[in-house]
Amino acid sequence: MSSEFDADVIVVGSGVCGSLVAHRLAKGGKHVILLEAGPRTPRWQIVEKFRNSANKGDPNGPYPDTRYAPKSTSAGYLTETGGTPNHPSYVRLVGGTTWHWAGAAYRFLPNDFRMKSLYGVSRDWPIEYDELEPWYGLAEHELGVSGPDDADQSATGRGGPFPPRSTPYPMKPAPFPYMHQRAADILTAGGYRVLNEPTARNSQPYDGRPACQGNNSCTPVCPVGALYNGSVHAYKAEQLGVQLLTESVVYRIETDSRGRIVAVRYKKPDGSDHRLTARIFVLAAYSIETPKLLLMSATSEFPNGLANRSDMVGRNLTCQPECHQGFLGKEALWPGRGPVHPQTFFVARDGEFRKHHSGAKHVVTNNAPNAIIAGNLLKQGVLGPNLDEMIRDQASRYIELSSQHEYPPDPNNRVTLSRTRKDALGLPTPEIHFNRDHPYFLAGAEATRKEYEKVAALFGATPYSPLHWVHPHTQGTTIMGADPRDSVVDGHGRTHDHPNLFIVGPSVMTTTGTVNPTLTASALALRTADTVLREL
Amino acid sequence: MGKSAKALRTARSVASAAIVLVVGLVAGGGTAWATGTSTSSEASADPVVARGAWLATAADCIACHTAPSGGAPYAGGNAIHSPVGTIWSTNITPSRKDGIGNYTEAQFARALREGVRADGERLYPAMPYTSYTLLSDADVHALYRYFMSGVKPVDVPAPRTKLAFPFGVRGAMAGWDLLFNRSGRFVSDPHKSVEWNRGAYLVNALAHCSSCHTPRNVLFAEDVDRRFAGAHVDGWYAPPITADLRTGIGAWTTTQLVDYLQTGDVPHRALVAGPMADAIDHSFAKLDRADLSAIATYLLDGIPTPSASSAAQASGSAAAERDEATLRGVSRAAQPSGAQLYSGNCAACHQIDGNGTRDGDAPSLIAISDVQRDDPDNLIMAILHGVDREGARPRLMPAFANEMNDQEVATLVNYVRERFGTGTHATPVSSEAVHRLRSAAN
Repeated sequence: MSSEFDADVIVVGSGVCGSLVAHRLAKGGKHVILLEAGPRTPRWQIVEKFRNSANKGDPNGPYPDTRYAPKSTSAGYLTETGGTPNHPSYVRLVGGTTWHWAGAAYRFLPNDFRMKSLYGVSRDWPIEYDELEPWYGLAEHELGVSGPDDADQSATGRGGPFPPRSTPYPMKPAPFPYMHQRAADILTAGGYRVLNEPTARNSQPYDGRPACQGNNSCTPVCPVGALYNGSVHAYKAEQLGVQLLTESVVYRIETDSRGRIVAVRYKKPDGSDHRLTARIFVLAAYSIETPKLLLMSATSEFPNGLANRSDMVGRNLTCQPECHQGFLGKEALWPGRGPVHPQTFFVARDGEFRKHHSGAKHVVTNNAPNAIIAGNLLKQGVLGPNLDEMIRDQASRYIELSSQHEYPPDPNNRVTLSRTRKDALGLPTPEIHFNRDHPYFLAGAEATRKEYEKVAALFGATPYSPLHWVHPHTQGTTIMGADPRDSVVDGHGRTHDHPNLFIVGPSVMTTTGTVNPTLTASALALRTADTVLREL
Repeated sequence: MGKSAKALRTARSVASAAIVLVVGLVAGGGTAWATGTSTSSEASADPVVARGAWLATAADCIACHTAPSGGAPYAGGNAIHSPVGTIWSTNITPSRKDGIGNYTEAQFARALREGVRADGERLYPAMPYTSYTLLSDADVHALYRYFMSGVKPVDVPAPRTKLAFPFGVRGAMAGWDLLFNRSGRFVSDPHKSVEWNRGAYLVNALAHCSSCHTPRNVLFAEDVDRRFAGAHVDGWYAPPITADLRTGIGAWTTTQLVDYLQTGDVPHRALVAGPMADAIDHSFAKLDRADLSAIATYLLDGIPTPSASSAAQASGSAAAERDEATLRGVSRAAQPSGAQLYSGNCAACHQIDGNGTRDGDAPSLIAISDVQRDDPDNLIMAILHGVDREGARPRLMPAFANEMNDQEVATLVNYVRERFGTGTHATPVSSEAVHRLRSAAN
């Protein structure tokens, strides 16, 4: 590398996708600077904060809450102007938001890439499953995914293995806990298709990390590191010589007059200003901060922000609307033993129905319900030995169903820059505009509600709490597509407008599919890294 | 005392040690000591090759002669860090190009027992030929047959060892060998049982325990006067394995020692970490219990079986449980306490009371030797670098070097020793002691 640049490549964001890219580039012999807005935090500090937290159910709870790099739940940071509060969930520290995920690591199905052609809904990706397949295998190896090699993961009864795979899972799935053995029997008898959820969680020692010990606190934090998070590759990248600069909030991307990216500027917590140059730049700051950065980088040449001739930056903000409902069954099933999401069930993950309504992934969750049960009993005035007995009894019979739905990209759902509010560094805060009103999704949600009635009947269970919604897995805000007029990046993650600017992370995903985005985003990121390597 | 005088004194000790071994000549010497059978899955139909495979397991050739992280078996390329530089293990597959495929049996025997290569150059005593010199002719023959026909040839050269002057002059090893290689076959002791002698052969000729567990003199030769008295190797401490009740393993029962060699995990007695864990996973765990009993009989020779287990209470630490309660609802201090570091880093596996999980998968720390011992190095090393157990029960303790700074590790070590050990330690561990071990190879 010549001394003309500070690095061959600058990567912005040390979450799973940014760290995978930095690591792969360093393995390819390149000089990389990896910039992270948040701090470097050892696991034990997060674990201790979790243990001291009064609100165990807050995924963001034990994570750094800094003035200079607020997380999504920092008071006064995000504003919402739409009809549905979206409350995206992300944190900012080395390793990013995979610190608090449940580890679901599904591949997309081949049909997920062709929603428009097949079902007349949503968009087609500019790439096919077969092109991404080797990268899925590499991502599974890098993250350490345990999963069922022979399963039909389309849950359509076609027989496995499906989707096709050229490499086996690095690890076998862990056996189901007792509750999920029973659930598998009950749901299968009821006509549902039950799957071991492939997860980035060690079912045996792997890559210097132990097997799951059943602490059941995956969200918000795994105390032993059996659950993968992005800091694994951030620190591996550092071992290979990547310069990991933390507490460095990138706020501006600089171009020359021809649109070539020349530098990034970042601020430190003390407000000091710094500038770094590179040949190629990769943005990996997740689906709110990446578009925010592009919009903040507007110039007279690019008045709408960078990479935004399409006006799509920040638009198409999708997620996987996820409903939760608690039930009380008749049988003692003992939720809370083992990892939080060992199992999923489907009516079907794919099929003709997707012309008419969203597909959904259903879960019998495995979170220990003691806090919920105890809280409700106390509200009802139950005290003394009776309280102990009832907590034990009800917690053992508690069943929580949870379902995440695909949601089509809607350009009116978007993130923009607040015109009135600034953060402690003087940067405009993100403003979210979201309405969860797409008819395709609403029909899917209604179908799920009916399934919940069926499932409850199968378990002999009655509703315990009302259905409520959250919006995990923010995606689409720098959408991938073949046409530069309605997309931000091409099939390799390169922005249409700036040849040396790439984007990785779920913000590029063209459609949400019914399954969690992390493995797909990771596979795309690794593929983008190799594209970058070929340029250097 | 000048170097040559010291060397001469050592040579005299060597001679007297040789006499001890020679007591009671056995006519002929072809008795097959340690009659183990091969537990290798590629057990050869040829009994001699199968015997050779078993001997290679017992001698743990694979540990040094295979590169870590997926090296081809016996193809060399393992870096052995010595005080005089890095010594690379050689390719001992039957490759004609890059291994020992051209060796005659005589040349093989000479390398194994006298530390001389086929081309006449001397080996460095990282290769424990001072132990293998005790191997019987029949066993050397079986090993030769195994390495020639039971091992896959690998046509990849291992890196060449280049030590700085004067250690690079291999010819100087001739003098060293004269002084320190006892160079003679194992001779059994007729006053001892068959089992004792079998154990002696396993320990001294094959498992070469003294290579790690005996301190070395300035010339890097084993200090025969202090055999099995313990030594530091690559940051880890190979503890005394003499039969001494206080400093050695004299208080162990035979069953405990056999269990330890088989699993590395004897609750409230010892938990293995470091290179000994590899030796157990690749070698001792693959020997049958009769052979492990023989080793125990030899090492515990003459010590009466303790009437009561001297292991500490089976329950966990009540004090540690009380510590946990004091952490909740309290703001984090600027400098974390040992209790907080233990809770945040360790308790999720080793449990709040330090007694591990009921099935032992996360083991108990209570009263184990690495926690009890005055020398804290193994505990520091295990925390910094982790422990990776393969074999029948794979378990892994991650490395915490990146998770805590030197002072935090020192604080944690002192806490663990105080809460989970039964002794008292005069000197607390300092952050400097931790810093020194950070870069130790493992």
